[in-house]
Amino acid sequence: MNGTVKESATEQQPDAAGNSGRRSQRNTLAKREGRAAYLFLAPWFIGMLVITIGPILGSLYLSFTDYSLLQPPEWVGLDNFRRMLEDSRLHSAIVVTVTYVFVSVPLQLALALALAFFLDRGVRGLAIYRSVYYLPSLLGSSVAIAILWRQIFGTEGLINQILDVFGIQGEGWVSHPDYALSTLIVLNVWTFGSPMVIFLAGLRQIPTMYYEAAEVDGAGGWTRFWRITIPLLTPIIFFNLVLQLIGAFQTFTQAFIVSGGTGGPADSTLFYTLYVYQRGFGSFDMGYASALAWFLLVVIAGFTAINFLAAKRWVHYGD
Amino acid sequence: MRRRTWTAAKVSAAGLAAVMLAAACGGDDDSNGDSSSDDGAAAGSDEQVELRFTWWGNEGRAELTQNAIDAFEEQYPHITIAGDYVEWGDYWDRLATQTAAGDAADIMAQEERFLREYASRGALLDLSEYIGDTIDTSELDQLVLGSGEVDGGMYGIPTGVNSFAVMADPQAFQDAGVEMPDDQTWTWDDYVATATAVSEGTDGEVYGAQDYGGNEAGLNIFSRQRGESLYTPDGELGFSAETAAQWWGYSLQMQESGGQPNASLSAEVQELGSPEQTLLGTNKAAMYWAWTNALEALSTASGRDIELLRPPGETENERGGMYLKPAMHYAVSSQTEHPEEAAMFLDFLLNDPAAVDAIGSDRGLPVNVEQRERIAADLNEFQQAEAAYLEDIADEVVDSPPAPPVGAGESVDIIKRLNVEVLFERKNPQEAAEQLISEMEAATG
Repeated sequence: MNGTVKESATEQQPDAAGNSGRRSQRNTLAKREGRAAYLFLAPWFIGMLVITIGPILGSLYLSFTDYSLLQPPEWVGLDNFRRMLEDSRLHSAIVVTVTYVFVSVPLQLALALALAFFLDRGVRGLAIYRSVYYLPSLLGSSVAIAILWRQIFGTEGLINQILDVFGIQGEGWVSHPDYALSTLIVLNVWTFGSPMVIFLAGLRQIPTMYYEAAEVDGAGGWTRFWRITIPLLTPIIFFNLVLQLIGAFQTFTQAFIVSGGTGGPADSTLFYTLYVYQRGFGSFDMGYASALAWFLLVVIAGFTAINFLAAKRWVHYGD
Repeated sequence: MRRRTWTAAKVSAAGLAAVMLAAACGGDDDSNGDSSSDDGAAAGSDEQVELRFTWWGNEGRAELTQNAIDAFEEQYPHITIAGDYVEWGDYWDRLATQTAAGDAADIMAQEERFLREYASRGALLDLSEYIGDTIDTSELDQLVLGSGEVDGGMYGIPTGVNSFAVMADPQAFQDAGVEMPDDQTWTWDDYVATATAVSEGTDGEVYGAQDYGGNEAGLNIFSRQRGESLYTPDGELGFSAETAAQWWGYSLQMQESGGQPNASLSAEVQELGSPEQTLLGTNKAAMYWAWTNALEALSTASGRDIELLRPPGETENERGGMYLKPAMHYAVSSQTEHPEEAAMFLDFLLNDPAAVDAIGSDRGLPVNVEQRERIAADLNEFQQAEAAYLEDIADEVVDSPPAPPVGAGESVDIIKRLNVEVLFERKNPQEAAEQLISEMEAATG
């Protein structure tokens, strides 16, 4: 806004004596249109300020306070951040979250790519398959699916009933500290649909002439995949990786529902965001929770930055 | 994207909370001034008032409570009460969020571990000024009435009286060919042996008991039997690591002997709050520790005539550990615009025969002594059994435990979590006991 105003102001002055008429008319029109644009943007802009930016800055302030939700916040400086160093539950939450991110994201992307590759070969009824595989992505972080998951992996759940047919006595997968996180990893991998659709679009864009040329030169299926498909797909892989990584760090609903909000059994599904929630709303410790949320933001930003730096080495943009 | 919205939502909730809190604080003088000047007129006037009432519990309780609400609305046509309930676990998350957002229900169910927290932070209305004029407490059981006092103010009024006991299914004992224990004399070893015998007698079809290790009321009783207690009157921890370790030691013995399910099933059912989902409620266990007011729900769920047994070990050690506890409290939000009407509703719930008839002993045996006696004959068999049990133990109860300190609500999750660590043998009872003490100290400190 400032830019346009200044520009028109400086333009107008030298012309003031001459044919300023038409110009100023045009300028007022532009100005009016600009104003109208901002007017139409206002609802979104105000919403952004009041509902997103305001609270984000608010939480930055709160992260330096002791705030019990029920009483006004009290400034405590860096105490909350110091506390993070000694909080053993936080440390286990970090281990859980990092494990989840680094196991589930690669598995999910690999599955998404494999299926996209398969579908791209030309399957009859592609649209149906695409929708079917995409469906879990829409449902994956819903409450209903998390409840379903708890049933499926429960002591008397579907999995154990199937195992029972083969005479195997299954565990209560969700309630066993050694397996509970795996069930959530499976849940995340199962939502491979959205990266798959993106991969599929990426695969479609690879010109067939490369493959034809390679075939003429005698390259086999694997060679074509590794030497043509993968390199040309790296921007898409990178895009999916960044997106899924950020998403996985912020996993909440699934863990909340499957563990009943406790992060149990024995903190084995205590995701970072779940711990933030527990501190904030369970223990009335909103100042500390805000500090935790900001730390997560910094960590995610850090990982994303590393991703972008590393990308220079392995992502090819086709030229 | 969906996941990201959560953080955004969380952050904005926190921010909004701050904004609204500020607004609430700023507006406080005004709204209080307004409402108090209106009070006299509003109470008598026909001005339509709508109040929200929230509590935890199952559908059964909701039905009973709705009947009481209906009776109230009939008597006071100008007041509408919108009732609303969730399970225990979700209740506190929601209440905290709503309170912070300035959107707490006018009337709420409270519990002693949270009452002090909410009251001392200004979230609850001091009911003292309504007592006498609007809320008649003359007939209420003075022994438990004091439990609603915090720092000289009256922030909660107990709904009824409760005690933590062992619920036993006689049918399951019979099927297993095991005699019901004598609850006057049974020791903790007897408890383990009895449970094991039931599991063996039914070839593992029915477990002797559901694991008890995750409930701090039981630990309190266990500690009191050893001359200790969960909290001291000063709000410090009152039990030793040795006691907590012994407590989990018995649980591990039961798990090894088969008297209770394996660790993963125990961990699974520990998180399921409602009576219908417990092992006793689904006929998969013969014994389960619960508050006496759950008797009816557990009997209905299991379809059996569940009996109440005293906790084991009452005569084994220094002293008995059982105690009477206010089942829950009714409290009024400090943010309510209609404190007078809210107080009228509380008075109705506590003293009006129609409300007492509707709710019965679902929130503990009525705290109104006169009403308790009046309905004694009309109580259904479960409620009578409950009343009889409470009367039986009344003389054996040594004393009441002190009110839990601020932060005590957190112990609920701490003890459950460490219990799972013990059941899966990731920590031995001694390690878990030491961690329990350090975490509870941190929470209440």
